[in-house]
Amino acid sequence: MNAYRDQYAQLFKNGRKIVLIAISADPDTALASWARDAEYPFVFASDTGTAVGKKYGAIARFPGMTNRNLFVVGPDGKIAYRATPFREIDPTAYTELGAAINKLVPADTTGR
Amino acid sequence: MLTTLVLAALLQQPTAAPAPPPPPPGPPALEVGAVAPDFALPGATRYGTLKNPVRLSDYKGKTVVLAFFFKARTSG
Repeated sequence: MNAYRDQYAQLFKNGRKIVLIAISADPDTALASWARDAEYPFVFASDTGTAVGKKYGAIARFPGMTNRNLFVVGPDGKIAYRATPFREIDPTAYTELGAAINKLVPADTTGR
Repeated sequence: MLTTLVLAALLQQPTAAPAPPPPPPGPPALEVGAVAPDFALPGATRYGTLKNPVRLSDYKGKTVVLAFFFKARTSG
């Protein structure tokens, strides 16, 4: 999560026309307190029971937990890119994700 | 001579292929091009828990990155 936070401006364009939702099986209160402590600028969703993780195919080997799978959903509502799993320590994972996002969200030329 | 025979026998032993990692539990990950299933989940930000659930359909027309992860307060 720290990498998402630290690259939020560059990778996720500070949330302009793009929404990052981080999902785990933690209760919403645990996610809120972690987000506060670590100053995460994006939204978390609490998938206790991992029903949504099952729908997307993001179930971990550890019981009751979601795996580190990442999906980019385009404006048409379809999966445009996936990283299963997202290799969070591999710099190329971020390059690939950035390229996938840039295809869907054109660069902002207005500077605002 | 005996050593040669033993060696020959050993060399002819089929080497066991490394076992492939077991597939992850649960259904396979959605493919590119699939319609992303809608969901409504309790949400949270650094300012606290959200009053309304987080719904994918609320962001129609936008690009949404869904980043599943293991557990809060871990590097995963």
